[in-house]
Amino acid sequence: MAKIDLSNISHSYNPNDPNPVFALNPFSMTWENGNRYAILGPSGCGKTTMLNIVSGLVRPSAGRILFDDKDVTDLKTEDRNIAQVFQFPVIYNTMTVYENLAFPLKCRDFSKSKTDERVNSVAETLNLKSFLNSPARKLTADQKQLISLGRGLVREDVAAVLMDEPLTVIDPDLKFRLRRNLKEINEQYKTTLVYVTHDQNEAMTFADNIIVMSEGEVVQTGSPKELFERPNTTFVGYFIGSPAMNLFESEAYSNDSVKINNTLIKTHTNLSNLKTKNVKLGIRSEFIKIAQNQNENLIDVNVEKVEDLGNYKLITAKMGDFTIKSKVTRETEISSQNVKLHIPAEKCCVYEDNKLI
Amino acid sequence: MNKLYIFLKYFFIVVWTVFVVAPFLWALTTSFKDFQSVNGGVTYIPWVDFEPNLEGWKVLIKSPAKGGVDIIEPYFNSLFVTCTASLISIILGTLSAYALSRYTFKAGFVKNNDITFFFISQRIMPPIVLSIPFFLFLSSINLLDSLTGLIVVYIVLLMPIAVWIMVDFFNKVPREIDETALIDGCNPYQAFIKVVLPNSIPGLIVAGMFCIIFGWIDFFFAFILTFTEVQLLPVKIVALNSSVTPWWSLSASALVSVAPLIIVAFIVERYLSKGNLSGAIK
Repeated sequence: MAKIDLSNISHSYNPNDPNPVFALNPFSMTWENGNRYAILGPSGCGKTTMLNIVSGLVRPSAGRILFDDKDVTDLKTEDRNIAQVFQFPVIYNTMTVYENLAFPLKCRDFSKSKTDERVNSVAETLNLKSFLNSPARKLTADQKQLISLGRGLVREDVAAVLMDEPLTVIDPDLKFRLRRNLKEINEQYKTTLVYVTHDQNEAMTFADNIIVMSEGEVVQTGSPKELFERPNTTFVGYFIGSPAMNLFESEAYSNDSVKINNTLIKTHTNLSNLKTKNVKLGIRSEFIKIAQNQNENLIDVNVEKVEDLGNYKLITAKMGDFTIKSKVTRETEISSQNVKLHIPAEKCCVYEDNKLI
Repeated sequence: MNKLYIFLKYFFIVVWTVFVVAPFLWALTTSFKDFQSVNGGVTYIPWVDFEPNLEGWKVLIKSPAKGGVDIIEPYFNSLFVTCTASLISIILGTLSAYALSRYTFKAGFVKNNDITFFFISQRIMPPIVLSIPFFLFLSSINLLDSLTGLIVVYIVLLMPIAVWIMVDFFNKVPREIDETALIDGCNPYQAFIKVVLPNSIPGLIVAGMFCIIFGWIDFFFAFILTFTEVQLLPVKIVALNSSVTPWWSLSASALVSVAPLIIVAFIVERYLSKGNLSGAIK
């Protein structure tokens, strides 16, 4: 258990090249002890590199890593007391499930009784109790992944458990249960959990802090609510939420309003210091509703299609060239022509140069 | 269609079995024959076609003073040289293969793959090219005509096989296994010994089998690097030949020389059929 500081970390896999390509651009971040973090981003954005730097498998080209204010940048992986779970199950084939789970404790010379107690408790949590004496290689892929996970959880004093898309091979039902288990473990033992994923739902349901990455850059850090309602960049708006945030090319019109296709939309953003008039207006489809009796921020659209997605309806509509998506309740009646949609001013995000103003 | 397939399958298996086993049966019967029953026309079945006797086998264990050839000492020389050289080759080869598989080496334009190829290239070379260098080398360190000298030479010959097989094998063992072991608290040596090596037993067995086979059957180097002090089995067997070919003792010695390989093959086959090789990786 530790507070982890990443200070000015950057990494390049070809640092001696005259034009090094950075897998991670310089960033600083603190992971507080006992919190749950999710690192979210598309494939190849540097998520795994970040984890490997924390676990010590990769030494950063620049910057320092501190565990509880102690510099561990040059400390070897085996001395960091960290746990890491990979995307695909890694088990020790020649050992039984029990030996697999006990291995991290054996390497650190724990007593037999302590090992027994920890292994049994972890096996209980992960439903592996009945397999303890079977050879690990005989288990199914998701049970093997549970073993990997179990090896991460078996040490109570571990600085952090790093998980690199650990639930990819696990079926959805078990996935849900495991995520809840992980949350419980975190609450019970106050273990810092770091979870890498490209699945926003996984990130949102699991973590209390989400780190969004794109192309080696940390784009935004915040709670699921913050990321959802106030995305820092259009990338975050696009990447998080399903469907993605509605983004409209628009023109700054006054101090607090923008113009899309001659329609004026009021926002709560101060637009007086813009460098350019071309901005983007972003609004979540969850916040766009069919107008009831509002008299401003209304747009006239033609409904193109309505999809019933079980718990809500998704309206895809056109306003000129713009496509607008809106999520409404199933009960909402939708006529096909000349629908008025309301865009709440307080939920509007305005982006200049793809960055939130 | 299906019946035809089964018929053909078994037909070819039977033909192949006869092709492989018949020479052994022939050697076995011949080893119990004497001059008369070998040269006096074709005979097959003991006691019916010919009267079996043990002369061919007795010659092998009698000392030369009593008119025998005594292959016992060369036999144990061969066993000792082959096993020692194989063991050392496997140990050194496995260590180098692990390094070549996991770490990046660079000396000028020479990289990991070039080093691996260098090992293999030692076996691509025709052995005769190496005979003079080996002879001069052993003579300069006074190891000609000695077991130690032969072991040194065989290590040079067998290690490339071990490296070649094990590099390939380690490349298939996911790197995450080593990384997980490090994360679990092993140092790199412990990770290798406790985790990677037990996962590589199938590869070690295959490499060991090849080393033993190639070491055991070598005639060429055993012939040119030994004279009177030390003799290995293949050389001794060839020396059995004379103006009147002693087919009976040649057959008997051929059988005893093949025996260890058959035993190795049986052990490996048992291991294979127990399913110990399956599921070793992933």
